[in-house]
Amino acid sequence: MRQFFFKLFLPLLLAPINLGAQAPPQIPPNVAAQIVMLPQPQVDPSQFETVSATAEFDPPVVQPGEKTIYRVAVNATQNSIAWPDEIFAPPELRPGPAARGQLTQPDGTPFHPLTEFYYEFTAATAGRFTISNFVISASGSSVMVPEASVDVAADAATEPARKLLLEFSERNLFFGQPFRVRVILPTAQGNRLEALRDVQFNGGGFLTDRFVTRQSVEVVNLDGQLKPAFIYETVATPLAAGSLMISVQAFTAGNQSGGPPKYVLLVSDPLKINVRPLPTETELPGYTGAIGKFFADPPQLSTNRLRVGEPAHLKIIFHGEGDLTRFVPPMLPRAHDWQIIADNPPATGYTLIPLTDEARETPAIPFCYFDPAAGKYFDLTIPPLPVTVVGEGLPEQLPTDDDESESGAPLKLSGLAPTPGKTVASLKPSQLCDWLVILQFVPAMGFFALWRWDCRRRFLEAHPEIVRRRQARRALRGEKKKLQQAVKAGDAAGFVLHAANALKISCAPHLPAHPQAMVCADVLAQLDHAEQNGHAGETVRKIFAAADAQFASAKTETADLLVLKPAVKALLAKMEEKL
Amino acid sequence: MKFRWLIFLAAIFCAVETGGAAATNDFFAQGLALDRAGQFPEAAAAFENSIKQKTSSGALVDLGIAEWQRGHAGAAILAWEQARWIDPFDPRARSNLKFARQAAELDEPQLRWFEAASTWLPPAAWLWIAGASLSLAAGALVLPGIFRRKKSGWQQTLAALGFGFFLFSVAANLGVVGRAQIGFVLKKNAPLRLTPTRAGEVISTLNAGEPARKLRTRGNYFFIRTESESGWIEQNQLGLVNE
Repeated sequence: MRQFFFKLFLPLLLAPINLGAQAPPQIPPNVAAQIVMLPQPQVDPSQFETVSATAEFDPPVVQPGEKTIYRVAVNATQNSIAWPDEIFAPPELRPGPAARGQLTQPDGTPFHPLTEFYYEFTAATAGRFTISNFVISASGSSVMVPEASVDVAADAATEPARKLLLEFSERNLFFGQPFRVRVILPTAQGNRLEALRDVQFNGGGFLTDRFVTRQSVEVVNLDGQLKPAFIYETVATPLAAGSLMISVQAFTAGNQSGGPPKYVLLVSDPLKINVRPLPTETELPGYTGAIGKFFADPPQLSTNRLRVGEPAHLKIIFHGEGDLTRFVPPMLPRAHDWQIIADNPPATGYTLIPLTDEARETPAIPFCYFDPAAGKYFDLTIPPLPVTVVGEGLPEQLPTDDDESESGAPLKLSGLAPTPGKTVASLKPSQLCDWLVILQFVPAMGFFALWRWDCRRRFLEAHPEIVRRRQARRALRGEKKKLQQAVKAGDAAGFVLHAANALKISCAPHLPAHPQAMVCADVLAQLDHAEQNGHAGETVRKIFAAADAQFASAKTETADLLVLKPAVKALLAKMEEKL
Repeated sequence: MKFRWLIFLAAIFCAVETGGAAATNDFFAQGLALDRAGQFPEAAAAFENSIKQKTSSGALVDLGIAEWQRGHAGAAILAWEQARWIDPFDPRARSNLKFARQAAELDEPQLRWFEAASTWLPPAAWLWIAGASLSLAAGALVLPGIFRRKKSGWQQTLAALGFGFFLFSVAANLGVVGRAQIGFVLKKNAPLRLTPTRAGEVISTLNAGEPARKLRTRGNYFFIRTESESGWIEQNQLGLVNE
């Protein structure tokens, strides 16, 4: 009983002290920065001269079909070792997963690296199998890796090789959905409890949170047996969709009774998780990557009456199932009337500054989260809160010591105008309206036109011959038309009448006299001497003679006078030129 | 018959000028009530609606008072300047402008002589004066001759007076056009930039209510000249009197 107490319960009781990691593990950023800034242990230069390697099978005796681990430990850094790509093992040993890891041994002040290579083999048949020695290069020198053998016997009493166990809180996840990962190291032979160090997760497409780790000692149920075990717990987040394989490796802490500490690299079997992408079609506004179940207390505004430019604090508290350390608060909305400043994380409040007194409520802050259990988004928008914003306040009255009579300015603002007063259709000046400007000049232009008309009228009054000639030209055009019509109709009498009238009209303004008062001699007088005695004069005489004969009692034949049409036309053209 | 024409012309003049007192509209009354209740932003909105319905000097005066009480000195000064633009004889607009400029330590816009002269009457009046005086002068010169009347001294005097008024009103009309380019900074610390871009270097910041003369426009910016400097300002930061 006493032995049982010392072997099982005492380590359990002292585990928190030994491990020193039971407290909530979150490391504040400033402390983390200090840890990073700590001086690194000095490198022991002598280690490069004394690089050595050990090799062994763990366990060294197995039954056929059991797994055994081929371990090679080299006291050099991993980067300095040129390790062969392949290990030449007997064909009876079926290879399994391999791993490698490095740690620094806390062996005094100098830095002592240790690198371990891990190969899993399964012996198919009984016998003794040896991996022969081989040479590697480490830290610039050749190092001999000694041979190692494993005995495989059907009747061998063996204990299975130690492995790490891996547990996930969820196996079917959404992209970005955090899940808890438990690494379990059961007690070793003799109920010896060991802690883990240099825990490393292998696989791609996920991220583990180093600041949310928790180490504890718990009693776990393994194959129906309750066993104490060292638990390393952290949170992982998938960053890729699809099937992801995750395994873990870690060194034991080297706690063993008697002798120097021995650090053993342990590896878990890989586990698969399925990661689905988040639905994008149903995504709500304000999604910042929150996955889980969240709640928000009603927002509290520090004051609901404030001045322009005066800050107010909007306190918002979110609750959620699970870890909130990676919770991303709602993004700042764009608000025209407000300046919004988010509180420093992890606080989720906002400082709101109204920019105008037109703001009647705080801006709504859109936010939503994705609930993987329901498989949909839930709205958690922070609603707007009513506020009263007053202006900056300008004086409505000036100090009375300012003498109104001197400055000429009134001492206070006037009262309101009781009526709308004068109105206009638009503030745009009429001067910029083209048509209105033109309209102003229309009367003046009318007067100008009237003046021009009066000037013309006076001119014509002074020069009546212009009017007579204009009238003669107009009358001549009429007679010529009638003359043409008479020719077309074969009306010789009409032809003679209109030809005579046309000739009279064309010469009347020159005398001046009324056209009906003109006789043949008057027309001939308008012709020069040659024309009077020539064909033109003859034509005039014939026309007038025929015209006068119409008044005679005996009718004369005038039908042949139509042949005079070209001569009359030429004569009239010549007469018209003189008008 | 002559009287009918005169009535017709008077009706046209009134239609363009609409210089008469307007009836109180609902928004105006609402604005008065809200302002008296201390709800200045709502009152300002009501007065703006009233102005949209019918631009009136009284609504602009009251809008300026509401804006001043809200703390918007630039918008208040602009509203009062617009009220004076409509009615240069409005005593409230005049006294409030003086008061505001003294309280905010702002200068009046610098006007040239013909711009200052144009403030004596409403802008539209100058245009009608120009048209009427020119017509009067022309009529006094032309009509006696047409009616075969002997030219008399009083007709010549009338024509000379008409031309004199016309020449002066031309200058006043130019003044109105010049004053139409004057604006007032609406917001406090409005940046005056070297280039018409948002990333343009800020030459200085202007006070709300500070007068500036718009010289040209490019994109969303006005190139302005204040009393001491020139630069580009965003259009929504400067309120023009005639807009």
